[in-house]
Amino acid sequence: MRPSMSRGLAADHGRGASRTHNNAGRGGRNNAGRGGRGGGAFRAQNIAGRGLGVRGRGRGGGRGGASGRGGMRGGNKAVIIPHRHEGVFIAKSKDDALVTKSMVPGDSVYNEKRISVQNEDGAKVEYRVWNPFRSKLGAAIQEGIDNIWIAPGARVLYLGAASGTSVSHVSDIVGPTGVVYAVEFSQRSGRDLVNMAKKRANVIPIIEDARHPSKYRMLVGMVDVIFSDVAQPDQARILALNAAYFLKTGGHFVLSIKANCIDSTLPCRQSIR
Amino acid sequence: MLLLFETPGGFALFKVLDEGKLSKVEDLGKEFSSPDSARKVVKLKAFSKFENTAEALEAATKIIESSTSKGLRKFLRANCDGEMLGVADSKLGNAIKDKLKIECVHNNSVMELMRGVRSQLTELISGLATQDLAPMSLGLSHSLSRYKLKFSPDKVDTMIIQAIGLLDDLDKELNTYAMRVREWYGWHFPELAKIIQDNIHYAKVVKLMGCRDNAAKLDFSEILTEEVEAELKEAAVISMGSDVSDVDLMNIKELCDQVLSLSEYRAQLYDYLKSRMNTIAPNLTALVGELVGARLIAHGGSLLNLAKQPGSTIQILGAEKALFRALKTKHATPKYGLLYHASLVGQAPPKMKGKISRSLAAKSALAIRYDALGDSQDDSMGVENRLKLEARLRNLEGKELGRSAGSAKGKPKIEAYDKDRKKGAGGLITPAKTYNPSADAVLGQTPDSTTRKFEVESLSAEEPAKEAPASGKEKKEKTKKKKKTDEETTVPGERNGTAEQDGKGEAKKKKKHQAENDGVQNKDENAEEGGKKKKKRKHSEAEQEESEMPSKKKEKKKKRKNED
Repeated sequence: MRPSMSRGLAADHGRGASRTHNNAGRGGRNNAGRGGRGGGAFRAQNIAGRGLGVRGRGRGGGRGGASGRGGMRGGNKAVIIPHRHEGVFIAKSKDDALVTKSMVPGDSVYNEKRISVQNEDGAKVEYRVWNPFRSKLGAAIQEGIDNIWIAPGARVLYLGAASGTSVSHVSDIVGPTGVVYAVEFSQRSGRDLVNMAKKRANVIPIIEDARHPSKYRMLVGMVDVIFSDVAQPDQARILALNAAYFLKTGGHFVLSIKANCIDSTLPCRQSIR
Repeated sequence: MLLLFETPGGFALFKVLDEGKLSKVEDLGKEFSSPDSARKVVKLKAFSKFENTAEALEAATKIIESSTSKGLRKFLRANCDGEMLGVADSKLGNAIKDKLKIECVHNNSVMELMRGVRSQLTELISGLATQDLAPMSLGLSHSLSRYKLKFSPDKVDTMIIQAIGLLDDLDKELNTYAMRVREWYGWHFPELAKIIQDNIHYAKVVKLMGCRDNAAKLDFSEILTEEVEAELKEAAVISMGSDVSDVDLMNIKELCDQVLSLSEYRAQLYDYLKSRMNTIAPNLTALVGELVGARLIAHGGSLLNLAKQPGSTIQILGAEKALFRALKTKHATPKYGLLYHASLVGQAPPKMKGKISRSLAAKSALAIRYDALGDSQDDSMGVENRLKLEARLRNLEGKELGRSAGSAKGKPKIEAYDKDRKKGAGGLITPAKTYNPSADAVLGQTPDSTTRKFEVESLSAEEPAKEAPASGKEKKEKTKKKKKTDEETTVPGERNGTAEQDGKGEAKKKKKHQAENDGVQNKDENAEEGGKKKKKRKHSEAEQEESEMPSKKKEKKKKRKNED
């Protein structure tokens, strides 16, 4: 039974959301933060395959959830230090925040806070705060995922791009040398995605069903990483199909699993298996 | 065997050099690991580039539908002779077979070949480098997305927002230039500024006349009326302005030209705005008119943004300063913002403006949502709603007239609950309790008969009972308002209007059961109020009586005040 939850409840979790299985051996931890995207809280297990890079992901914030970020108020001086993952940074001030270097300075994609920092040669660099309650990838990085495989210069195929909030951060990470192919089927979200892509030259918006990669084979080249956030019961098959078309040999994929979506009647452990 | 590969730059046809390798599907991947080994497996046979993005878009849409485009057919016919063709989509293969009689195949080995080719695309197609491919892909994806999202250039509300901004700018500029013309020419002919009031006429006259000595000879009938022309000619003779040289006059004339051309452009822009509004938001235009509709959209930022606002917001869009000030100081909030300029609100009597503004805001919210998110293009919904609103306005006006005409049967005039109606002099909590002889004559009523009627009919007493405490409350409100009248810079008549309208509105709209409850409550309050009044007034009267009498007195006082 899918527990229903109203939006905007993400705010009552602090950033270090409750942790479940702390699998020291595997080195990964999962986020059980509640999100707003129409489902209830759930716990995920970290599954096999280091080589494949599969990570069971907790439900990070969905869209429309209020930002739980109370600490980052305007006027704070922040120090930016690089994160373990390349392309991602941490802003250290009164509160720590995960940030990415903005490709479009002066612009907020989803009203996120931006931090402007002056570096050595006097140039102003802008960083955008990555909200882990709205972005599953952000939540995973915050919870200490081993490897996201998304690095500057990488080519990423992002399935389930929605309105482009996470895609914008991925685009920041891969930078101008990389490419993000963002696939989204919904019209309304697609509109926002296209508007976001207008400002970023490395995002290629594709308004197509991810189940039929042959339909957009003309637009996509070979990619290094596939990030899948489609929340469908046959998401593994979708991923496999897309990988067969577009993933390079030796490439990686990152999959976000929502146990309710796989089979709402099974207990979540079984779904992930 | 040939392989059909689609790229954002065009169609590519590869020849498979070594068909034997196809049998070992798993090893095919290794073959493509380096460009040289890849070239040993496949070779580019033909490449047909897309001429422009339109062609690319057409080809892409056909691919999505698994059908062949003309360009593809031509390409295949020219280059694929007799061989088997490997395609990525079996449906496309069927289509090609039907149209072109070329045998198509789609299996694992073909897919593996595709993968390999895709990974080494830039090496295999010599003319296409990575940096060329990326912008092509980007451009094609954006056009494809626009096509998929049914982006129509007609329905872009940015045009409206820019046009209305430009209209305002033009008005300002036009005014500035016209004033400048007046000032400048006034050095030569100062009286003309007072004779001709309209800016455009002034500019035309100056342009025609130049030096004021020419005034007598020229004919101004196209621009001015007879009397004005006569005045002009008279003033030209006795003008006290000094002479100016031709060069100066020429410059003044050029400025006049500018003014005239700007005003023409403004008229043209207005027409353009009207036509755009009718295309983009026909229902909104039908309800409030083009100009107000455009201002609403510009204020909201976009049509979609505006569609997300509730009707109450739309009612006071544009009066934010007054709204927040009123909220902070706990006063009555404004009743209309931009909507005040709509024709429906304009043609309503002042007391009805608030009500109509609210109803209009509600209906226009619906119209906006219909325009922004709905599919159809016609304005039937807007027109229908406008008719409803006009009917409501007539209804309201009818009720007003009916009330002021008085009751026909000679029954006691039951005063509607009107908490904000001005009663009594300002500054007093209760009106001065002096005996007013003219109150007797109103409807031939005596205080005694009314009192008895109240005791008998408890239900009907609700309304007058309501008004007693209401009058108490409203007196307090009145004093507060009177004290702060200086601060008011809101729309004229707003405050007064609010008071009266709300009271009357409440009276009309309260449903029976609700009213009854209030009646019960009010009776209790009434007792209290009566007690208070007893302490304050000079002579004593029966409780109920007193509530009716002062109300009558207040009504009379109010009428007198209105007359003033």
